[in-house]
Amino acid sequence: MSLSLDATQLDRYSRHIIMDEVGPEGQKRLLESSALVLGAGGLGAPVIQYLAAAGVGTLGIVDDDVVERSNLQRQVIHGDADVGEPKVESAARFVDRLNPDIDVETHEARLDVDNAHELIGGYDVVVDCADNFRTRYVVNDAARIEGVPVAHGAIYKFEGQATTLVLDGPCYRCLFPEAPEPGTVPDCATTGVLGVLPGTLGCIQATEAVKLLLDAGDPLAGRLLFYDAMDMTFETVPYQRNPDCPVCGEGGIETIEGVDYTGGCRIDAD
Amino acid sequence: MDVTVDVVGGGERECVLEDGATYADLIRAAGFHPQEASVLVDGSPVPGDRPVDADRVRLLRLIQGGSNDHLEAEG
Repeated sequence: MSLSLDATQLDRYSRHIIMDEVGPEGQKRLLESSALVLGAGGLGAPVIQYLAAAGVGTLGIVDDDVVERSNLQRQVIHGDADVGEPKVESAARFVDRLNPDIDVETHEARLDVDNAHELIGGYDVVVDCADNFRTRYVVNDAARIEGVPVAHGAIYKFEGQATTLVLDGPCYRCLFPEAPEPGTVPDCATTGVLGVLPGTLGCIQATEAVKLLLDAGDPLAGRLLFYDAMDMTFETVPYQRNPDCPVCGEGGIETIEGVDYTGGCRIDAD
Repeated sequence: MDVTVDVVGGGERECVLEDGATYADLIRAAGFHPQEASVLVDGSPVPGDRPVDADRVRLLRLIQGGSNDHLEAEG
């Protein structure tokens, strides 16, 4: 059964379609699904690359930066000729060249309190490739309220963390209730990052996003995957839902408007 | 009291704490800033101001990098 896949699509996605776990129905499902990628940088680049290749039909890309030459050591969807261009435009050109089936929705903006609900609400999955704690807490909170699962990833020098935040599982605040004060945790700009590291972590996030869209396999929910590139080891850390979580607990917040995301992004209990 | 701290990705270390020490004290004893890491007991984070009541914990460092990592500070 080919459903509505045309001959070109049957050829392009043949290695998906041949698998029982995807098949033509799963591929059609991917083509009809949507993902919002927050950040078109180190993690976002492989996520955009693989979700586009996989045929995720609508890709939203949020980023307010321009391509810099120092990005090119790891942000593999951007090239030398893209330096100085908005990342969302460079990313959209990459997707257009890779797969004409994909509709790209570019959002040249920084996701924050005033636009998070609107940006996240219409998508089937969010892939969190942000580079700062403020955005990560805004994403966690708004996505949970909007009922959208999140594939989370973060990197530091030679290490990475990934976890998947599904609606019936714990959220990011269940693991890290508050953000550290700005400046207390170093970022990649000040410490450096192995160029291939975001490729590894981004591929894990893309894998999780595809699984969520297919409703296949076991998501990385209630588990944080820790990757050490130097030791080439993976470790899984289980974590529990916090029944008193101000976001996913009973009586959690219904909007992020009014939440102060400066400092520790703390939400005080009523 | 003696507490075994399993630092995720960093191996185990034994920490000796005075009676009444908090989990923030334990994080410092393990060599980290209390805002830099979360202590998990049975899979759940514990508040930093809570007195230590476990003899074995996991310590998970927060990391934030991912996308662009510009040099300007975030709000």
